[in-house]
Amino acid sequence: MAEVELRNISKSFDGVFALNNVSMTIPDGAFVVLLGPTGAGKTTTLRMVSGLDKPDRGDVLVNGHSLAGLTPAQRNVAMVFQQYSLYPHLTVYENLAFPLRSPLLKTSEEDIKVKVSRVAETLQIAHKLDNKATALSGGEMQRVSIGRALVRSPELYLMDEPLSSLDAKLRADLRIELKSIQADSGATVLYVTHDQIEAMTMATHVGVLNEGKLIQFGSPREIYEDPVDIYAASRLGQPRINILPADLFGHAPTGATSIGLRPEQIHQGEGQESLVTRVEHLGDQTRLHLSLKDHDLTTVTDAHTQLAAGDIVRISPQNPFFFDAAGDRIH
Amino acid sequence: MVYTPIEKLAQATPQPMAQKVRGLSDRAIAWIFVAPSIFLLLAVNIFPLIWTIRLSFTNFKVNRANRDIEFIGLRNYERILTDSDIWMTMQATAHFLIWTIVLQVLIGFALAYLINMKFKGNDLWTTIIVLPMMLSPAVVGNFWTFLYQPQIGLFNYVVTFFTGGDPSSFSMIGDVHLAPWAIVIADTWMWTPFVMLICLAGLRSIPDSIYEAAECDRASKWRQFWTITVPMVLPFLMLAVLFRGIENFKMFDLVVQLTGGGPGNTTTLTSIDLKREAFEKWRTGYSSAYAVILFVTVFGLASIYVKALNKVKER
Repeated sequence: MAEVELRNISKSFDGVFALNNVSMTIPDGAFVVLLGPTGAGKTTTLRMVSGLDKPDRGDVLVNGHSLAGLTPAQRNVAMVFQQYSLYPHLTVYENLAFPLRSPLLKTSEEDIKVKVSRVAETLQIAHKLDNKATALSGGEMQRVSIGRALVRSPELYLMDEPLSSLDAKLRADLRIELKSIQADSGATVLYVTHDQIEAMTMATHVGVLNEGKLIQFGSPREIYEDPVDIYAASRLGQPRINILPADLFGHAPTGATSIGLRPEQIHQGEGQESLVTRVEHLGDQTRLHLSLKDHDLTTVTDAHTQLAAGDIVRISPQNPFFFDAAGDRIH
Repeated sequence: MVYTPIEKLAQATPQPMAQKVRGLSDRAIAWIFVAPSIFLLLAVNIFPLIWTIRLSFTNFKVNRANRDIEFIGLRNYERILTDSDIWMTMQATAHFLIWTIVLQVLIGFALAYLINMKFKGNDLWTTIIVLPMMLSPAVVGNFWTFLYQPQIGLFNYVVTFFTGGDPSSFSMIGDVHLAPWAIVIADTWMWTPFVMLICLAGLRSIPDSIYEAAECDRASKWRQFWTITVPMVLPFLMLAVLFRGIENFKMFDLVVQLTGGGPGNTTTLTSIDLKREAFEKWRTGYSSAYAVILFVTVFGLASIYVKALNKVKER
């Protein structure tokens, strides 16, 4: 049980900011997903909280107590590493039992056995317990790595792209599994990914990071419906938000240089004429690629649409977002 | 059907290259490549070995080559295995072997562990530590006779600096109790760097992220050392022990230069003893039997050890 607060954290490597004055409060029991591209500072944030790296400035607090100066072992956090970091000379069972054997936990061998087999069952690796950790496929290693964090009950789980090397089906299964484990145990999770589906499906809160700065922090709904800038707007939503010149449809607020249109913000049937350049049938929906005054945009239409390339569709914006020259939102 | 030239090429069965080269088959060419090494191996390894085994059942003396060779059965073996002097040399060899390996493994691993901690100038230290290994064993042997010199030797001076007393009150080479240790120390000085290098390779093969995972799994430094560092370096360490063991079983040059096998027979290792029997006393048949016994011993020990090593690697 823990409420975690990051207070004005900065960290630079060789003069380049990896994190620039990042603050956020992670409520107890929250599932926080940090979203951003490679190099945005997501992993660095995890390493600050875990204690593997020290911030240049700022502090991490758990339940109001500063963690400064505490080693990772003293912090009682469990971390899932992107590169698995399994103990190669040990079996899967020994890998999973390793954190439980910490003298700080004093777990009996029977308890260890129960906990390990329960986790192995959940992650579908029970039949691999006697294998050496190096004799596994990438996906299996990743599951062992997740399991090593799940066997104990830390104050905080830190997960660095834990599902990135799994196949699509297993990834979908584990998304649901992780979410329900978290919901049942009430654990606090800080989760890093660049996959927006993981963010949308699991997160109670999303933190959008870019170049070491926290752009926006809020529920997935909030960020989707009320993004603070172009960057945050384009991190969520599929197909991506269309960013077009502000005056493309006429009237624009003063100072606005671009207009942002999500598929549902594009009303079809009236307005400007646009040319259908491509139709993609995805089964449950159909994507329309349109060309409007030499600008490309993508939207969604009825699954059974009769439209084909070369047709003309009239479109008009509906409650669009406007952004200024710096990319900030104009209300 | 009409094929373009490219399609024809694609359909053609490729000819084995070898069949075209002067009508030689692949197999013949393989033999031609392998033959020189097989011949060399037979000439300098296998034939001498068989010949040695044959001679070990005779009373042949190479400096009396004209005398009739008499087959005397197992008499040479019987004489060797019941000779208490030879058991003395075996004991000296075992003492040398065990202590050099123990000391070199402990000191070598400790040095590798220290060097592996990232500090400024550790590359320079590695170079300095490795220097003794690059010297000739004969030079090292000679060199240590000066260090062990009771009146002017640095070794005696340093020891008495810490323990007090007179530097010339003891002689590492001259004393029957100290001489076996004198050769252990000199060999350890020379070859610990080798063990260190192999351990260092082992330590560097462990990625940092494994230690980071262990940190997060709340393992203390002590536990990390015993559950991660030691098991992951162990295969490397065992390899180093194998190399040092085989090398020191054959030890000759350094010890001959340093003590010449004395005082008495206290530092006469089996290889030194064997050389005297064969090329000073010219008892060729007898020394052949001696060599066969040593060969079987080394071969047996090495194969048991390699089996253990493979087991460790499989773990």
